[in-house]
Amino acid sequence: MSTLSRTLGNLRKIGLKEYWHQLNYIGDTKAGTLVGIDKFGNKFYENNVDELPLRTRWVDYAKHDFDAAHIEPLWHSWISYAIDTPPTQDPIVQQTANRHWASQEHIPNRTFSRAAFKTYNTTKPKIEAWKPFAAPR
Amino acid sequence: MLASARTGASLALRARPTLQLAPFRAAVAMSSSSRKDAASPHGGAVLPHGGYGVPNRERKEVPLASQEGTKGLVQYALTTLDIITNWGRQSSLWPMTFGLACCAVEMMHLSTPRYDQDRLGIIFRASPRQSDVMIVAGTLTNKMAPALRQVYDQMPEPRWVISMGSCANGGGYYHYSYSVVRGCDRVVPVDVYVPGCPPTSEALMYGIFQLQRKMRNTKITRMWYRK
Repeated sequence: MSTLSRTLGNLRKIGLKEYWHQLNYIGDTKAGTLVGIDKFGNKFYENNVDELPLRTRWVDYAKHDFDAAHIEPLWHSWISYAIDTPPTQDPIVQQTANRHWASQEHIPNRTFSRAAFKTYNTTKPKIEAWKPFAAPR
Repeated sequence: MLASARTGASLALRARPTLQLAPFRAAVAMSSSSRKDAASPHGGAVLPHGGYGVPNRERKEVPLASQEGTKGLVQYALTTLDIITNWGRQSSLWPMTFGLACCAVEMMHLSTPRYDQDRLGIIFRASPRQSDVMIVAGTLTNKMAPALRQVYDQMPEPRWVISMGSCANGGGYYHYSYSVVRGCDRVVPVDVYVPGCPPTSEALMYGIFQLQRKMRNTKITRMWYRK
């Protein structure tokens, strides 16, 4: 609920600078505890007391041109309420940290950049040119 | 010969993301060399069909429109104008629903309380005259294609198209069917392709976010000024 008293109360907690920043990115005024920062520098916040369900966790992206794919997979599972504790503390995440088959770095979505995916042909060409060949006699 | 080059190219495409340009360049070099190999036995006159049609020319690096900086006072002023226009566009995105198959069910889920598209300003409209974006959800058949094109033509500018699901992207499961259009991009220009069969509601929402990102980077008055 975005009431005036809530907005003003959160504004008093976070300060004018952060208020302006949040207004530009989240479009809301939220106060919470900083739960963690991932490798990209995205900041993850949580407030289980004052916020409504499914709005208790939010992210402050590191980049201006933000994209949901900037969030790492484990932090994604945290922010989508798939795990309760953040991946820095989650016991199951700690156990499964060293998976050699999993890539160590998160690959963001490269759409709108030079490295964007482009389709390429993997099938055999349908037309084969005739190759002149004379059997040795 | 070709197969090995191709696997090399695909491996290079899948390579580590740290070097953004290097694997891409390597892949380009590989594919061009393989093309040369393919063409050399018959004097380069005949190119094999299918994906090899582009002639082998020098690769020119040009900055993308999004990578060009802002120069001059006028461009800064127009950038601000563009930001305001784009903000208005992306925060009231009215989709024309073109629900054709099971993807439409996922599209409906986007409007239900869990994902709640109304909070993003996305309201489904039944009339193409009132909508900005068309979400093509599902298999586009040959019989439906003229109707799709007509609806697209009825939409006012600016308009965008989201192709949702494998069937709309490229025919998908029905690619070899006699009655199905192999991708709705054969009929209308598509901005965002959402993969999946069907894509989840989250995936469609992510596709909408990508479209909003595209809108944010659109240079409206700046391109007009350049002309």
